[in-house]
This record gives sequence, C-alpha cells and structure tokens, in this order.
Amino acid sequence: MQNNGFLKTREIFAIALIFVSLKATDSTPTLIAQKTQNATWMVPIISFLLILPSFLLMIYLLKKYNDKNLVELFEAVTGKWIGKLLGLVIFLFCMSALMFESRNYIDQIKVLYFHNSPMEIMFFLFIGVVFFGAKKGIEVIGFTAWISFPIIQFTAILVIVLISGEVIIQRAFPIFGSGLEQVLTQGYSKAAIFGELFVLLIAYNATKESRMFRKGLLLAAFVGLIEIVVFYFVYITVFDYNSIQKAAFPFHDITQFISFGNFFTNIETVFMIFWLFAAFLKFIILIYFTAWIFGTIFNLKSFEPILLPISLLTILGGILPFNSGLTELVYHERLLAWLSLFFIAFPIVLWLIAWKKGELKA
Amino acid sequence: MRFFQNKKPTKKEKEDQKLPIHPTLTENIDKMKQLFSYDINKDFSMRTLTIQQDQKKGCLFYYGSIVDGAMINEHIIKPLFENKGDSIKNIVTIENVEETTEFKTVIQNINSGKAMLFVDGEGIAYAMDVAKFEHRNVAKSENESVIKGPQDAFTESLNVNLSLIRKQLHSKHLINEGIQIGEKSVSEVNILYVKDLVNDDILNNIKERINDINADTVRNLEVLEQYLEERPYSLIPTMLYTEKPDRAASYLEDGFIVLLMDSSSACLIVPVTFWSFFHSPEDRYLRFLYGNASRIIRLCCFFLTSLVSATFVAITNFHSEMIPPDLLLAITASRERVPFPLIIEILLMELAFEIIREAGLRIPNPLGPTIGIVGALILGQAAVEANIISPIIVIVVALSGLSSFALSEVNINFTVRLMRFIFIIAGGFFGMLGLTGAFLLFFMYTASVRSFGVPFFSPMSPHFISSNDTIFRSTIQKEKYRPDYIKPKDIQKKG
Amino acid sequence: MKKYWLLMIFILFLTGCYDRIELEQQAYVIIIGVDKTDREGIYEYTFQIANPEVGTSANGGSSEPATEIVSVEGGDILSATNTANAFVAKRMTLDHTKAIVASEELARSDDFMRVIQVATRSPQLRRTIQLIVSKERASEFVNNFEPLIEKRPHKFYQFLLQSGQEIGFVPDATLHRFFQITEGDADLFLGIYTTTILEEVKKNHDGVEDDYIAGEVPQQGGTSTQFMGSAVFKEGKMIDTLTGEETRITYMLDPTVDMENIMATIKDPLDPNFLISYQYRQKKKPKISVDYHPDKPTKINVDVYFVLEVVAIPSLIPYPSDTEKAEKLQQAVIDTLTEKTDELIKKSQTEYESDPFYWSLYVRSAFKDIPEYEKADWHKKIYPNAEIDVHFHVQALEFGKTIKDFDLRNVRD
Repeated sequence: MQNNGFLKTREIFAIALIFVSLKATDSTPTLIAQKTQNATWMVPIISFLLILPSFLLMIYLLKKYNDKNLVELFEAVTGKWIGKLLGLVIFLFCMSALMFESRNYIDQIKVLYFHNSPMEIMFFLFIGVVFFGAKKGIEVIGFTAWISFPIIQFTAILVIVLISGEVIIQRAFPIFGSGLEQVLTQGYSKAAIFGELFVLLIAYNATKESRMFRKGLLLAAFVGLIEIVVFYFVYITVFDYNSIQKAAFPFHDITQFISFGNFFTNIETVFMIFWLFAAFLKFIILIYFTAWIFGTIFNLKSFEPILLPISLLTILGGILPFNSGLTELVYHERLLAWLSLFFIAFPIVLWLIAWKKGELKA
Repeated sequence: MRFFQNKKPTKKEKEDQKLPIHPTLTENIDKMKQLFSYDINKDFSMRTLTIQQDQKKGCLFYYGSIVDGAMINEHIIKPLFENKGDSIKNIVTIENVEETTEFKTVIQNINSGKAMLFVDGEGIAYAMDVAKFEHRNVAKSENESVIKGPQDAFTESLNVNLSLIRKQLHSKHLINEGIQIGEKSVSEVNILYVKDLVNDDILNNIKERINDINADTVRNLEVLEQYLEERPYSLIPTMLYTEKPDRAASYLEDGFIVLLMDSSSACLIVPVTFWSFFHSPEDRYLRFLYGNASRIIRLCCFFLTSLVSATFVAITNFHSEMIPPDLLLAITASRERVPFPLIIEILLMELAFEIIREAGLRIPNPLGPTIGIVGALILGQAAVEANIISPIIVIVVALSGLSSFALSEVNINFTVRLMRFIFIIAGGFFGMLGLTGAFLLFFMYTASVRSFGVPFFSPMSPHFISSNDTIFRSTIQKEKYRPDYIKPKDIQKKG
Repeated sequence: MKKYWLLMIFILFLTGCYDRIELEQQAYVIIIGVDKTDREGIYEYTFQIANPEVGTSANGGSSEPATEIVSVEGGDILSATNTANAFVAKRMTLDHTKAIVASEELARSDDFMRVIQVATRSPQLRRTIQLIVSKERASEFVNNFEPLIEKRPHKFYQFLLQSGQEIGFVPDATLHRFFQITEGDADLFLGIYTTTILEEVKKNHDGVEDDYIAGEVPQQGGTSTQFMGSAVFKEGKMIDTLTGEETRITYMLDPTVDMENIMATIKDPLDPNFLISYQYRQKKKPKISVDYHPDKPTKINVDVYFVLEVVAIPSLIPYPSDTEKAEKLQQAVIDTLTEKTDELIKKSQTEYESDPFYWSLYVRSAFKDIPEYEKADWHKKIYPNAEIDVHFHVQALEFGKTIKDFDLRNVRD
C-alpha cells in the first residue's frame, strides 16, 4: 500500500462523505418509503443512532490496536481463521453492494438518459471508467475526491435551493408516517445503509496519522447523515407519501422538475454530470476498498491486480438479474435486514472478546 | 566521471585525452594540432610567441570564431611581450586564468571559448577566458507577454541570462552550479538555486538525473527537458519552461530550482504543480482583485477550450432536452441543410483551426497576414454559406480555439488541445456519460502525476502549508509561507 | 498492440452511439391533445410540432407554416408518437412539451387517469407540463391555434399561460400538482380551462370583469384561444368548472401556490354607478389553522392578509384624503371578498364535497400516523362538515402615486 503521508483529514472526509451521502440519490428512499411513507426521513436517523455505538466501538478498538486495519484487527482479536471469516463477510457485503448498487446506478442512467443503449455496453463503460480510476490508488482517489468535493456539494445545495419552492412542509405530517412501530423496525432493518462506514475502516492506516483518519471519518459520517436526511425530507415534502412510493429514482425526478428561471427549464443534465462524477467516485472507492479487504484477508502484498477480476465480477453479477425492480426490492431488502444485525452486533462481540482477553488495558 | 566510462570513442582517442601535458612545447603543439585537426580546421588558430619575462617560447591556441580577437591582443599578447612578473598569471591582464595539466580539460576549455597558452618547459597549460559567443541582445518577451511587469526575456547567452536573474534577486545565497553533460559535444547545464532555501533531496535528485543522461550531445534546454522527465509518453508536462527572468526569480525565491543553458533563451523550473502552468507572472503584478479576475477568466478558458466542443456534441446529440426551446429551434434550423453529422462538423472545424494555427506558425513572416485572411474566409464565411458547416459550429470552435490562447504556456496548451479531441470523441460516443467518465479519468491521471516527487495538485490536495496560491491568490501581505510541498529549508517568508 | 487498441476504440466510436440522434432528426412536440374515440382504450392524440425554420434568420423556410399538426389514434402517448412516425419523418420528442390538452369529454370520463398516468413513467414528459382542459375536442383546439404575433408556438403558450397565472385567471396546473393531489386522495385539483370557440357575451353579467369561463370573455381581434377559469378535478376526474374569479379566490386561500398582483374591481361603495379598480397583493401567505375534532365538525380558520392598492377611482370621491371614506372602501372590498369566498366554500362543501385550496395539508399534523389520517377521511367526513371561517385583513391601503385626484369640475371650468 502506498502511504506517503499525503492523505489527511480532508481527503478522508471527502472520500467518506461522497461514499456515504450518495445514498441519498439512489433508490434507497423509495425502498424505505414503501414501509414508512412520509416518515422516510426519520429512518436514517434511527439507523444511524443504532449503528453509531457499534461504529464508535470499532474505532475505539482500532485505536487500541495500533497500526492495524479492519481485517488485521479481526485477526488480532479473534484469531487468524475466525478473523479471516469475519473479513470475508465484509468482503461479501462489499461485493453484493457493488453488484446491486452498480445495477441500480446503471438503471438510473439508462432509464433517464440513455434509453436505447444496451445495458451491457453501459456496464462495461461505467465499470471500465471505475476500474481505471481505482487503479490510480488511494491517494489519487483522495485528491480527486477532495478537489471535486466543493463542486459536488455546491450542486447538491443548488438542487435543494432550486426545489425549495416546491417543498411543502405540511407533507411531513402526520409525523410518524405509517406508524412509529414501522419507522423503528425499518430504522433497524435499514441500519446496513451505514454499514459502508465499516468498509472504510480498512484504510485506517492510509493517513499521515490515524487521528486524522478518525476525525475525517466521523465528521463525514455526521455530515453525510445530515445530507441524507435533508434529501429524504425534500423528497417526501415535494412528492408526498403516495408518489414517493412510486418514484423509483426520486433524485432524478427532482432534478427533472426544477428549472432555473423561465429560460433554462430542463437542466437535469447539469446535475446529472456532477451526480455521475460522484457516482463514479463512489464506485471507485467501493471497488478499491473491496480489493483492499480481499488483499488483506489473503495477505496479498499488492492488491491492485485484484481490481480487474473484481470489476469483471461486478459486471457479470450486475447484468445477471433481469428485472431491476426485483433486484432492488427483493434481494437488497433482505440483504440489508440480515446485515443490519451483523453490523450492529459484531463490534460489540469483538470488544467483548478483546476485553476478556485483557488487551484493552494497555 | 562518466566521461571515461563510455565506450564510443576509440581507444586511441581515449588515451589521447587521458594524456597529461608534456613539458616540451613542440610535443604539445603536435599533439594539439592532431587533436583539433589543425590542417583542415580553418578557424582553429595557433600563435607562437616568445614571452618577454623569461624569453621562453609559448604557444596560444583558440578558435578564432568564438573568441574576442581584440582581447587576446590587448590582454594576452601585449602583456606577454611587454610586462614582467613572476608568473604567467601575473603577467596577463585577463580576469580569469586557470591552470591545467590534462588534455581533456584543454579540449573542453578551447571548445568553450578560451584561449590556451602552452609554455615551453612547463607541464601545464593556462586557460584564459576570452570567449565571445555571438548572441541576440536582450529583447522583449514575445511568447509570454505582459502588460504590467518587466518586459525583458532571456536570450541565448548564459551570462546575460544570469545577469537578468541576479538583477532581480540580489542574494549571496543564489548559487549557480554547473554540470557538464554530453559526450561528444560537452555542454554545461547551470543549476540555479537559493542555497538556504532549496531542499537538498530535490536538488540532488535533479543533479543525479542530469548526470545520468547518457547522450552524445544535449544541445539545449528544450532537449534537456525531454531527457529529464519521468514519463516521456505522458500528456502532462512536469517542468515549467519560461523565458521570463522575473518568473524564474520569483520561483527561486520560493525555493524552486532553475535550470539554464547557454544555448537557450529560456529556463526550466522544477518541480512544478498544475498551478504553475495555470498562473501567469502578471497575476502577481496586478492588484489582488484584478489578478484574481484574470485568473477566473483563465480558468473559464481552461474549461472552455478543453470541454466546450465536447459538451456541445454531447448535449446536442444526446441531451437535446437540455437546450432551451428557442435556442434548440435556432440550432436545428441552422442544421437543416448541413450534410454532415454534428460530430464530424465539429471535428472538421477543430482540425481546420489546428491547421490554421500550425500553418500560421510555420509560415514565413511576410506571408503571415495571408493565412488570417484565407482562414477567416474559408472557415468563417465560405463554409457556412455553402451549407457545409452550420454557423453555430463556427462560434463554438472559435470560442474553444480562442480560449486556448489564454493558456499561453506552450506545454499545457498542447495538453489541452490534444485532450479536446479525446473529449469530443468521448462526448460523441456516449454523451455526458462518456464525457464525464473521460474527464474523471483525465483528472485522476493528472492528480497521479508527480513532478520530482511533488503531487501535481498540491498544495490543494494533498494539502501543504503554503500561501494558497492555487486558483486564486491572496493579498501579498498574507502570503507568508513558501510552498511546503518542496520542503524548503525556511518556510516562513515574512511576518 | 497500441495501434490495435486505437483502431478498436475508433470502431467503437463509429458504431456505438445508440442514443445519439441529430437535432434535425427530431420533431419537437409543443402541445399534446387527447380525445376520446369510439373504441374503449383507444384515444386520439394530436401533436403540435414546432417548425424550427420559422422565426429564425436562417435563409428560406419562411413560407412554411409555423407548426405541423398531426393526429393519430393509439393507446397511450408514447405509442402514439411511434405511430405518428409513420407519416412524420422525424422522431417525435416530447422533451419540450409545454402542455397536455384534454377535451372536456375525456376529462369528465373515468379514462382520464389512465391516459395521464403514462406521464409518470416516461422521463420525457416532465412534471412541469401544464394540464389544460378544452371545451371542444382537443384536436379542434390545437388546430384552431393561430397566433398572430408570436411565431413560435411554445412561446405563445408559455406567455399566455404565464400571464394568466400571474393575474390569477387560470390555475397553476402542473402535472406534478395533479399527481400529488390526486394520489393524496384529498382536495381538488384545478386544471386550466380553455377554448377557441367564442360564445355570445353573457347577458346578465354584473359588470365585474372576471366572472367568466373560457369562451365567454368578450373580445375583438386577436387569436380565438382563450384561457380562463379552471376545470375542477376530483379523484382524477373532472366534475365542474370554476370561473376566472373563483380561480382567483383559490389563489388567495391556497398557501402552496404563488401569486402576483391581482387586478380586480368592485362597485364604488359610495356611488354605485361607478366601479373602483384595485390591486390585490398578498405579502404573506394566508394562515390556516385547523382544529380537528373526531366527533364534532372540524373548525377551519383562515386568515388572509393582503395589501390593497386602489388604482382607479372614476367617481372622483376623495378616498385618499378622507380616512372615514377610505375605511368604508376597505370594508367594502373585504365584504365583497368574503361574500364571494363563502359562496365558493359553500359550493365546494355541498357540491364537490372537497376543497380546491389544498387545505388537507393542515389537518395532517393533528394525526399521529397515516392510517389514522386516512381513516378520518378528508373527502367524505372532515371537509364537508367543517365549519370554515375566512377572515380578510387589510395590511395596508395604498393609493398609488397620486394622493388626490384632480377635481373634474375645476377642469371643466
């Protein structure tokens, strides 16, 4: 791994924020809205609150076991083989996220902008760019994320500002949507949407000092949460609870809706460019970290060669399921629910083991 | 020295060069005649004389074409005939006299314009600097013109260039170190740096790389640049080439290193970042707001020239919904009779523009105005009137072409112009998806470039302490630090 | 190897491009008209296509008509565009469509939802498209379109609708709003009502100038296209029309729509032979408070704040200088507005059993969750039985830039 000490708080912050906050623009809100209706915006808050203690515990453990990244920590705490197994679970989570989400993103691009193009070509093009981008390594990803970060954030804010005329706050009521119970269970079963934060922990030692990494990651987690909540809130107040359930790609519905004065009426492509830029970055990050986790599990000295097979696997897995609605709604839903438990529980288990072993006193 | 390790010179020559200077004059004269092919080489001059002091025989060798004849007469020959003193050094009135005992140095010295004096009975030769290479006078900078700021430009003379730099930077720490390169024709690269600022690692790295150059000749700085760079196939330049001494001085002040050669009217500045190419020296001479305003415009030009044609292709071919209806109908109307697809139109025009540019550059000066008239007529009017090209394409291409001139640095100018074609093809291939992907990869590629270990987008990302002179500059009072990415010995500039 | 790569890329570049289409290969549909046909599930679609060559300085083409209008039958809008390509040379593009015009016949039938539903599926049809109901068949309406000054059809529609919405004659009827209200299953949606067939001037008109629906506005010259009043939709089906004036009242009472100045007239309270023109301006949104009671009628209290600017006083009564008279005028305006509002509210409560003001939003906060809210049933239970009080408050009374009108008698001397 390259570590010239070039990565600092801001790069990690930008990486993590782009990685997490892009969740606001895919089909996740629709998925959540099926169950919770106009309380959709609360779900990420609950998910976040549920997963935050585990996440903090994880960071605490990493701090204690200095100089170890996520998978190395597993091995140090639980022994070599169980540790590797845990790492493998995370790796499989990444792979599934890669396949499902890339499919979802390609669907968005295809349905909205490239109706007649075959899915395979778009997959190859998209993942191709992601592959070559990821090949440049973590530092370049960090630089790129940080430099493009202001403009991506700016366009996100611009979307909010331009749509604010259509926001009707009253639509957020009745406040608990389809019922408090529903909101809470959804909050729990969708906790895995923040599971990607754990993936980022593999890069614990990539920064100049690990303090910078912790700071950047936590800051990004909070800002990302705010962004997700703001966007979800805008979705339900613009669309109301009946329509949000039908809008497969609410972010794009919003960008199609807004106009910049009377002259520039159809400006969605402008936002699509920056959204796409962020989407490319997100997948570059995801694919790179997936390879990293894989490399650490199997003790590979350099994991960059793994990127190509992982990319090909992503394309293969992404093309396989034919109905995109099915992919999203059925598989992803189930997967998220299972993984939620995993992400909430395993840091606690790890901590207990480490505490039992008495390794935390040092 | 590498000189001895190489294999190319024949064994005989090698031995000749190794030879020490013989104590007897006649031997030396024969040797010199043989080394410099005296019988056929017409401007190689030799003059025997008798030294007044001790009546010893002496012989003076030099190239008549590169020395100052009057100076030889006045300061060497005349004193030798007339003056007295205890050694040759004290007799001649030349400022710089060196002694040598090897033919190797003799050859070097004669090639660099010195007169060599051999004296009978002494195993040494005296090198006296009487060089007078012809060069242009200092002229106004033509390729990097500024309105406000010094106008002088480097010329093809090391001494003049040095004097131009020293004029800007009065410091005893400003060091000019020479390294010789080339095997057949030895030339000297001068490394300028400020001793108490420069980072030694970078300095040694550069010296090493210069020493590693394995070539018969490195005639000038432009060739040296290509020998020094890490990635010869890369689109991105990693050294800044400038003809303005004030610019060189401002970089020296910040701890950068400047390379000079006798035969080039420019200098190379290393290491560089993306911003060095983006900045113009005038930004710093203009007041804070004016300078930044011109930076904004230049940034616009950067994006316009690289992306406007590609964006136009992508939007009109893939995302026509984006164009406001009136504009859309206007563009459509203008395209109704045009026979080519839009992307071909754009490529044709961009190509035509490049042709005009290249031809305009190469055309002999008296014919210069012709190219403008022909170009404007063919492209601007005839093509549109014949319905070969739609008028809006002319506007777009003219805009992108014009913008490219705002990036005056010759290297980055090429980068952008070449990338433009890649972007157009990407945009024509898959609209904004292709274009965004291509731009992202280009961006990441640029971010991965390092110039002598310095990441290309520093100090923006990775972040370093500096005066934050990136897209915008701050006021001159606030520029307190030298850029930390080159690790200068003293980071504080003021305050 | 490098060369082969380049070659491959170049070939890709020549063949790829699935979605690439040249501008001149597309036909830009400005207006879509929808009519019923004899057959179930088949509708007649009328597309008005802009001719790009009209109105540009590009040489030639000026003798061509500004638009091409084609009608085809089909199941939905998108398949109809395909069918239309049998005789329209270019590919039909709906990206720049400004409005969908449905005939009143269709709008009043159950099929209307089915026709319009497709708009949510296709990214081509935007949520900003205006929904228009024409009195006559939509194809007739589109064919009667003949703007005299504006050569570009989209501009004509855009300007006409925009000015109508600014002064409040026609509602802001975007598809977005249509879907929100219809899917929300509460409130009434107002579509733009229009016609090109002009009728005789209403005889017993009381002289207040906006009490028309489209077709009734007396006009001379100009185009015959009139946008006036609104079509009331309940649960995706048209049930009635509102006049221009009633439409304005909905603007006044609905906080979710923006409105600019409204010009209106009332009878001079002190001299009924004359009219007074005023500008009505809302500086802040109306305040709506809903007091929900599960068992007894819900109380809805609406406070409307507005600025009253008197523009013309033909009777020359010195209102500006006389506070007492000014107050009377103010009260007269409030009374007229209240009266008309009450009338409309009553009509909506009894006839429509729902409100065109989007007030269901304000009852929502009284509920904990959506099942509870849906059970309370705004349409059937809450609104028709509600006690509604609307209060108009004048924030400021202004008299324009003149303080005092000149005295006509003095002038005549």
